[in-house]
Amino acid sequence: MAAKSWRLLRQLPWYGLMLVAVFAIGLPLFWVATGSLKTTREIYTFPPVWLPQHPRWDNFSAAWHAAPFGRFYLNSIIVTLADTAAKLFFALTTAYALVFLNIRGRNLVFLFVLAALFVPVQVTLLPNYLTVGRLGWINTYFGLIVPMMPVAFGTFLFRQHFRTLSREVLDAAVIDGCGHWRLLWDVVLPMSRPVAVTVGLLALVGRWNDFLWPLVVTNTVEMRTLPVGITYLYQVEGVQNWGPIFAGTLFVMVPVLLVYIVAQRWIVSGITSGAVKG
Amino acid sequence: MVQREDHGMLRVQLTRRRLMAGLVGMSAATLLAACGQNQSASPTANAPAVQAATPTPAPATAASAATPSKTMAATGAPAVVTQTGSKVKVTYWGSFSGNLGEAEQEVVRRFNASQNDVEVTYQYQGSYEDTAQKLTQALAAKQTPDIVLLSDVWWFKFYLNDVLQPLNDFFAQAKIDLSDYVDPLINEGTRKGQVYWVPFARSTPLFYYNKAAWSEAGLPDRGPETWDEFLQWVPKLLKQDGGKTTRFAFAHPNAASYAAWVFQPVVWQWGGKYSDPDFTIHLQEQPAVEAGRFWQRSITEGWAVSSKDPNADFLNGVTAAMLASTGSLAGLEQSAKFPVGTAMLPKGPAGFGCCTGGSGLAILKGKPAEVQRAAFQYVAFATSPEMTTFWSQKTGYMPVRKSAAQSTAMQQYFQNHPNFKTAVDQLPKTRPQDAARVWIPNGDQIIGKGLERVTIQREDPQNVFNDVARTLTDAAKPVVEQLKRREG
Amino acid sequence: MARDVVQPAAVSGLHWRAMLTWMQQKLGDWPLFVLFAGPNLVLLAIFTYWPLLYNVYLSLTSWDLIAPVKPFVGLTNYRNLAASAEFRTVLLNTAIFALGTVGGTTILGLALALLLNLRLRGRTLARAIIFAPVLLSGAAISVFWINMLDPRFGLVALPLRWLGLPVPDWLNSPHWAMVAVILVYIWQNTGFSMVLYLAGLQNIPHELYEAARIDGAGAVASFRHVTLPQLGPTTLFVLVVSVINSFQAFDLIKVLTDGGPVNATTTLLFYIYQQGFVAFNAGRAAAASIVLFVLLLGLSLLQLRLGERRVHYGG
Repeated sequence: MAAKSWRLLRQLPWYGLMLVAVFAIGLPLFWVATGSLKTTREIYTFPPVWLPQHPRWDNFSAAWHAAPFGRFYLNSIIVTLADTAAKLFFALTTAYALVFLNIRGRNLVFLFVLAALFVPVQVTLLPNYLTVGRLGWINTYFGLIVPMMPVAFGTFLFRQHFRTLSREVLDAAVIDGCGHWRLLWDVVLPMSRPVAVTVGLLALVGRWNDFLWPLVVTNTVEMRTLPVGITYLYQVEGVQNWGPIFAGTLFVMVPVLLVYIVAQRWIVSGITSGAVKG
Repeated sequence: MVQREDHGMLRVQLTRRRLMAGLVGMSAATLLAACGQNQSASPTANAPAVQAATPTPAPATAASAATPSKTMAATGAPAVVTQTGSKVKVTYWGSFSGNLGEAEQEVVRRFNASQNDVEVTYQYQGSYEDTAQKLTQALAAKQTPDIVLLSDVWWFKFYLNDVLQPLNDFFAQAKIDLSDYVDPLINEGTRKGQVYWVPFARSTPLFYYNKAAWSEAGLPDRGPETWDEFLQWVPKLLKQDGGKTTRFAFAHPNAASYAAWVFQPVVWQWGGKYSDPDFTIHLQEQPAVEAGRFWQRSITEGWAVSSKDPNADFLNGVTAAMLASTGSLAGLEQSAKFPVGTAMLPKGPAGFGCCTGGSGLAILKGKPAEVQRAAFQYVAFATSPEMTTFWSQKTGYMPVRKSAAQSTAMQQYFQNHPNFKTAVDQLPKTRPQDAARVWIPNGDQIIGKGLERVTIQREDPQNVFNDVARTLTDAAKPVVEQLKRREG
Repeated sequence: MARDVVQPAAVSGLHWRAMLTWMQQKLGDWPLFVLFAGPNLVLLAIFTYWPLLYNVYLSLTSWDLIAPVKPFVGLTNYRNLAASAEFRTVLLNTAIFALGTVGGTTILGLALALLLNLRLRGRTLARAIIFAPVLLSGAAISVFWINMLDPRFGLVALPLRWLGLPVPDWLNSPHWAMVAVILVYIWQNTGFSMVLYLAGLQNIPHELYEAARIDGAGAVASFRHVTLPQLGPTTLFVLVVSVINSFQAFDLIKVLTDGGPVNATTTLLFYIYQQGFVAFNAGRAAAASIVLFVLLLGLSLLQLRLGERRVHYGG
C-alpha cells in the first residue's frame, strides 16, 4: 500500500504533464460542444461562458432545418462507405500482388503507386473535373465516388505489413494447394486485421471530411455531402449566426468520433504494424 | 499493441500471440477445407469492372422523392430539352443562404406557382466567388446552368468570354420598359446598348452606427456629415479599459470582406479614382494616396480596427460604426441588441462619393430558345416591381425598379423602416464603379490585399499603391485585348 | 485488360483447366497480377497521373478556363514564376509552414509518446483524446478555432491575459496569422506522430534496455544510446509522412485565413488553388503544380536517401 502511494507520488509530475496535454487537446473540443448550445451573444462574451446558462438545443434544430441535412447524411454515408470499401479492396489486392506474386518489375509498379502520394488532390481537381464531365458524371454518385477510389497510402501500409508475415504459414498454405485468392481472404487478411482497420479508418475519415471535391462536382442540394452542407449555414452578405454553425460542425464531427471510439483499440497497432519496421 | 518477444530469435513483428490467434482462427481443418482443390479460385467474379475505362452515359441521379423537380444538370450540347409534363425546366445558380436564401427561394416558389409553363430550380453554390468558380468549371466541362447570379466583380469576365446572352430582344418581346429599371443599376450591366446583367440584389455601402453608443457619447442621432465631423466624435466613441481598447469608433473589412468596395467611395470623396473606364490606373496618384493615408491614420491613431467579420464586431459592440452593404441591413436589425442607425456616407475633402454593389442575373448563351425564353421569364419576374419590393423588404437590398421605389407600399414601408430608405435616397448620388475593381479579373482582391498592407501592415500607402497599380496594369492587359476582340 | 493469350490452333480443343495450366506456365503470375492490381493501377493512371500530365500541358499555355482555345506560350509561365516576388514569398511561406508543422508535430509527438508510454493510469484515455483531432474535418475545426483565436472573446486570449502578455490579433496580423495556422495544425496532427512513435517505442526489444542497465547506463544514457537510435526508422517514416501532409494542408488555411492577410499564409498548394480557381490563371496554376510535385518528390527521396544512411536498423 505504502509502496503504491509512494510510486504515485513519484509519478505525480508525469500525471501533471498528462493532464496538461489532455487539456490542451481536449478543451477546444469541449468549447465547440458547449458552443453549440450557446446564443451568439454568449459565444461573444469575455471572460468566456463555460457552460451556457440556458442550453439552446434549438441551435441544432435551426441548423438541421436550414438545409436538408438528412439528405446530406445519406449522401455522405453512401459516398464514404462505397469509397472505403473500394479502397480497402484495392489496397488489399494491390499490396498482395506486389508482395506475393512473382513478377519482374514489381518494384517499378510499387514506385508507380507510391509516387501518387505526391500528387495533391487540389492539383488534380480541374483535370478530374473535366474527365468526369466527359463521362457525364457531374452531380452524380459516380462522380463523387469513382475518382476517389484509387489508393496509394493504404497499398503502402498493407505492403509493408505483408512483408513481415511469416512465410512458413503462407508456404504451408500454398503447399496445401491454396490458390492466391483463397490465400488472400482466408490466411493473409485475418493476419492483417489491425492494418485493415487502419486503412479503412483513414479512408473513411478522409472521405467523410472531404470538402473540395464534393463542392466542385455537385451542383444540387440533393447531391451535396455534409461538409459542403455546412456552408449553407453561412451568410454571403449578412450576419453569421454562430450557434447553428457550431451545431453544424458537430453534425460532421460526431459520427467520426463514434466510429473512432469503436475502432480505437485497433488503430495504434494498425497504423504502425506495417510502417515502422526494422 | 505489439508485445515484445521473449526470445529475440523471431524479429518478425508478428507476435506469437497474434500468430497463435491466427492459427487458432483457422485450424488445419479449415485450411484444408478452404484450399482443398488445386484451383486458383478465379477472382474475375469479384473483380470490380473498371468503370472509367468505358465512358457510359450518365446514370440518372437519384433525386430525392421529396423534391418533385428532378433537375437534370443543364445538358450540354446537343441541347435537348427534357420535357416532362410539358414544363420547361430551368436551373438557376445563386449565392444566397440563410435568411437571404429563404427570401430567394420564396421568389422562386412564387414564380413556379404563378404559371404552368416553366419550373425554376434554385441551386445554391456558395459565396459570390464560389458561384463564379463553379460557373467557370461548368463552362470548361460544358455543363452550365441556365440562369446565374453574378456579383458586380464577376459578370464582366463572363461577358468578355462571350458566354452571356444579350437580353434586349427578350425585354422587347415581353414589352418590359427598360427605362423603369433604376438607371445607374441597369447601365452597369449594359454594353454596346445590350443588357447582359439584370440588377437583382443591388446594394450601396451605408454608414451603420450603434445608436446606443451614439447616445452614450451624447452625439446627435445621425451619421456624420463629413469625415472631419466624425473625427471630432471619435474620442467620445472610444472606450478604453486598462490600456486596451474595448470599443473602437470604426471598423475596416479585410480583403475577403470586400475592403476594396468600401474604400472606393472614400477615394472618390478625396477626389481620386481607382481607374478610368479604359483601364488607365489612377490609384497611385495623389488624391487616392491621400485617402489611403487617412485610412491608415484611422488605425495608427487607434480609433479604427481591421476586422475579419465587421458585422459580428459591430453587433457585439466592439465597433461603434462601419461601412457595410445594405444587404446586411435586415440581418443586422434582427440580431442587434441595440437600435441600428444608418446614414449616407460621410463627405470627404472633395465632397460626396458613393458606389453601387451587389449582384444581378444573367442568362447563359447556347441554350435552346425555349429554355432561354423560360429563363428570361424568371428574370423578368424576379426583377418585377412586386418582387423587387418583396425582396427589398426581406433583405435590405434596393428596389431595382423606379415604379417599385415610388409605389405606395414601398413608401409606407420606408416610413416604418427609415433605415431602408437611406440606401434608396443615396442611390441617385451614386456613380458606376471603377473598371479596375470590377472589370479586371481579381481586381477587387488585388486592391483589397493592397489595402490590407496599408492598414494591417502599416506600409507606406504611396509604395503600396504603386505596387498595386503595377499589378493592376499587368492584369488589365489581357482584358484590354479581349475587349478589343469582343467590342472592336 | 489482360492480354489476349489465346493461341488458336494449339489450344482450341483443350480443356479449359489444361489451358489454365498452360497459361500459368507460359505467363507465370502475370494474369493474376493484372487481375489483382490492375483496377487500382488503371484508376491511379486516370485520376492521378493523367491530371499530372494534363497539368504539364496546361503549364505551357495561358488558358483562362473558359476560352475555347488554349494559347501555347512555351515556358513563359515558369519564367514568370521564377521572376515573381510573390512566388518567392509563397515558397518561403511554404518552407516556414513545413518546418513549423513538421518540427512541432514530430517533437511534441515524440514527447507525448514517451510520456504516455509510462505506466500511468488513464493513459489509454489520454492517448485516445490526443489522437481524436486527427480524424476531424479541417473545415469544421477551423470554424471554432476562428472563434477561439479572437483577441477579444477567444479562449486563447484567456491564459495570455492571466500571464499579463499582449494578445495578438492572430488571424489579422501578417506575423501571427502564420503562427496561428501552424498552431492549429499542430493541435490537430500531433496525435498522429504520437501514435507512430508509441508503436516505435513498443517495438524496441527489452533486452537492449537490460543490456544497457548491466553496462551501468542511467535513464538518460539508455535513452540516448538505446531509445533514440532504435526510433530511427520511426522518425524517418514520421518525417516523410509529415512533410507530405504538411505540403498538402488546405482546409485549415482556406477557412482560417484564406491565405491572408496580405498573402502571409499563402503556401504553395494554396497559391495553386488561388491562381487556378480564383484568378483563373490555369497555366500558372499548372506550372506551380509541377513545381510542387517535383519539390515533394525530391524532398522525400532526399529524406529517404539521408535516412538510409543515418538510420541504423536494429536487429
